[in-house]
Amino acid sequence: MKLELRKIKVTDLALGNEMKFENGLLTIDPQVIIDGLMEDVNVKSVKVDIAKPGDKTRIIPVKDVIEPRVKVEGSGNGFPGVTTKMEQLGSGVVNVLSGAAIVTIGDIVGFQEGVVDMWGEGAKWTPFSTTYNIVVDISVVDGLQPHDHETTVRIAGLRAAEIVGEVARNITSDEVEVYEMGSIFEETNKYPDLPKVLYVEMLISQGLLHDGYIYGVNSQKILPTLIHPNEELDGAVISGNCVAACDKITTYQHQNNSSIIDLYNRHGKDINFMGVILTPELTTLEGKFRTCDYTAKLCKSLGADGVIISEEGYGNPDSDLLMICKRLEDSGIKTVLITDECSGWDGMSQPLADTTKEAVAVVSAGNVSHVVNLPPAEKVLGNPEAIATLAGGWEGCINDDGSMKCELNAVIGSTSEIGYHNLTVKLY
Amino acid sequence: MTYKVLYYVNQFFGQIGGEEKADIKPILKMEKVGPALGFEQLLGGEAEVVATLICGDNYFNEHEEEALKFIIDAVSEVNPDIVVAGPAFNAGRYGMACAGVANYVVDELGIPVVTGMYKENPAVDHCKAKAIVVEVSDSAAGMRNALPVMAKITKKLLNKEELGLPQDEGYFPQGKRLTVFADERGSERAVKMLVARLKGEAFETELPMPVFDKVEPAAAIKDIKKAKIALITSGGIVPKGNPDRIQSASAQKWGKYNIKDIDSLKGGYYTIHGGYDPVYANEFPDRVAPLDVLKKYEKDGEIGEIYQYFYTTTGTGTSVGNSITFGVEIGKELKEAGVDGAILTST
Amino acid sequence: MNKDYLIITNNPIVRESFTNSVYLELTLEELLVKVRDMVHQGHELITHPLGASIRMMFSPYRSVLLSSYQKEFNEFHVSIAENSIEDYRKNTFNRKTDYQHKDDYAMIDIQLLNEAINEHERLKSIN
Repeated sequence: MKLELRKIKVTDLALGNEMKFENGLLTIDPQVIIDGLMEDVNVKSVKVDIAKPGDKTRIIPVKDVIEPRVKVEGSGNGFPGVTTKMEQLGSGVVNVLSGAAIVTIGDIVGFQEGVVDMWGEGAKWTPFSTTYNIVVDISVVDGLQPHDHETTVRIAGLRAAEIVGEVARNITSDEVEVYEMGSIFEETNKYPDLPKVLYVEMLISQGLLHDGYIYGVNSQKILPTLIHPNEELDGAVISGNCVAACDKITTYQHQNNSSIIDLYNRHGKDINFMGVILTPELTTLEGKFRTCDYTAKLCKSLGADGVIISEEGYGNPDSDLLMICKRLEDSGIKTVLITDECSGWDGMSQPLADTTKEAVAVVSAGNVSHVVNLPPAEKVLGNPEAIATLAGGWEGCINDDGSMKCELNAVIGSTSEIGYHNLTVKLY
Repeated sequence: MTYKVLYYVNQFFGQIGGEEKADIKPILKMEKVGPALGFEQLLGGEAEVVATLICGDNYFNEHEEEALKFIIDAVSEVNPDIVVAGPAFNAGRYGMACAGVANYVVDELGIPVVTGMYKENPAVDHCKAKAIVVEVSDSAAGMRNALPVMAKITKKLLNKEELGLPQDEGYFPQGKRLTVFADERGSERAVKMLVARLKGEAFETELPMPVFDKVEPAAAIKDIKKAKIALITSGGIVPKGNPDRIQSASAQKWGKYNIKDIDSLKGGYYTIHGGYDPVYANEFPDRVAPLDVLKKYEKDGEIGEIYQYFYTTTGTGTSVGNSITFGVEIGKELKEAGVDGAILTST
Repeated sequence: MNKDYLIITNNPIVRESFTNSVYLELTLEELLVKVRDMVHQGHELITHPLGASIRMMFSPYRSVLLSSYQKEFNEFHVSIAENSIEDYRKNTFNRKTDYQHKDDYAMIDIQLLNEAINEHERLKSIN
């Protein structure tokens, strides 16, 4: 499979009367997006706004982030199985509006938080303060069931990314990234001496606001499955997850999965990167045993020497992470885990509730209880009431100057467990 | 304005005397004594050692409450910006005194404390979370290397500068896991770590799993009817009056008492354990250490005999280091006495 | 036919919807302790006591599936139940339960419960 991502660098963003891209400036006509999304009868209204790095703007509550792209060669434009007809992904040429992002807001329930601050202290903690954000706020018609509400907002975000992505269709790119990999046998023949490496990507798969989709299939219903890394980079995996702000994997992060990209960078040099196993994080213990056994079995069948396992979420998925680790290490496969931890406000608590001695190599993406101070925003995109939710967590979290304290767990992508951001934890 | 430092030393470094003076009560001298002299020179004029507190090691460990009361009054009177204690090197009692002073000053007055200890000094675990404990060598010969490190950290704390990583600054980690920015994103660190593992190179996990000390169970006793059984508890059961002054928490010692001629602990014993409601244990101490049942077993021939000494300490807050020491010491005695098995009770 | 599971819940709308729910007027922390105690008594954990995100720790409600039958004490289940309490306490130490959105939490909890029951029914072995 060969996938070319032609990166068109977005360095500025404006609202205007037409959709266009010129010299780095992406201009958005809100009406084009609104008209496109209003075709869905479940959508009542759409608001489009922009937020640029450095703006004193707060976006809350973020539902998903999606990268605007268009496929110019090969099959599978859009998100096959979800917004477009089923097609094979992973090959062809994609024009990417690199540096731009669709950020959707749509509170299905009142307790969603998910904050992105575009400036100052808050900006450091989220990877989406450095993207030029097209913020799409979606309201649905009255009386919609929660499941349909979530689906409507999820699909509206993907469609918005397609509409904006169209702007890139005839633009020449500055930079081309090529992701090419033959079959496992071809690659192993090419690199017979390199250790064989797999990436296990765990997905929250537990129901409303806690779902992930692969070609439109709810990951709750699958056995762990092998997927070519290019398919995920080409849009095969979609987020349906509205909680776990700090450590959910947004659609944007699937499209740009940092673990996949960093493994690709070493492919043919230090490792033979063989592929990705998508593993659902289920609710029942029996389900967890089945997926963990099955994941370990896939790794063994493929002859892996080493595996990176990334988690999504916090709480019951910690059990899956450590069970997979134990099974692999017990069969002689070396693992590295990526997770986040809760070591309390002062960092003095035991970081993981569940532990296993086999987890000897772990990357910590940060302490979810770490408290940060967010100054008051000049402009709020989304629901100001969500700020009250964010700020209502404890006594005294709003300071006299209007700034507020918030835990990292409310900040989108702060402790990304696919290793998308650059936080870590050190012992002092 | 220069900062004020209060220095704490024991009778030896306070130039009062050796072991024979270990019982002296704390005294406050409004001058620099012993290591305080050299320490002040290392502060480069940024701070001044205004007073030295001296206390005998035995006095501190045996009269901790009184000692701390004097010390807290003295610290309040001097009102220093920081308290520096030791270094205690590998001296156990001196270390415990430095730790006791450090924890109390930090908790009660909120004044930072810097001290120095050898890594195996059991007092390290006692106070490293609250004080900055500089890692020093095991004997006073290391004074010359210890003081500059302590002085450098003291200056940083006085100037409200953030301390660097423990391994860079030379102090024991306090156990705080702080979120910081890394040079590389998480996935890149993960890939590097995996490549290092696959090449058999050294790598460092960012989240060490807690290590539990697992003890293999001993082989089963072949004939219980002939076995000599000892009774041990960490439930703080001691003879009334606590003759050996075993601490009610964070035990520094254990005790052993002859139980040959009694059938129950009731009446003569009570608990000094500070970690549970003592009412039911005091009413009937065998509820914690079941001597009554063992004696009955002995009479009925269910077991061979009960070892004549009963061993006891307090488990609550007691450091792992001390527990290991106690275990080794008690185990040695039992082995020499030909004990076949022991019943250990906790709370 | 009797169900092979019990729903241990403090969610009022679960009580109304399921006949085999054991409704307890408890805080979420107390509910987790109750679950732990029942696991000690030999009930098996069918679902993990915790949710999949930190936000769900601030929920006032949670429903956990346990086996209706009692077997021998299962050490793995006990450690999961025990660690869940510890993890919950650690995450909520400085935080208040979010009662303001209790209706939303109740709705999400019953949705997740339904999914869990479906998952359990699909997976059930005959034993």
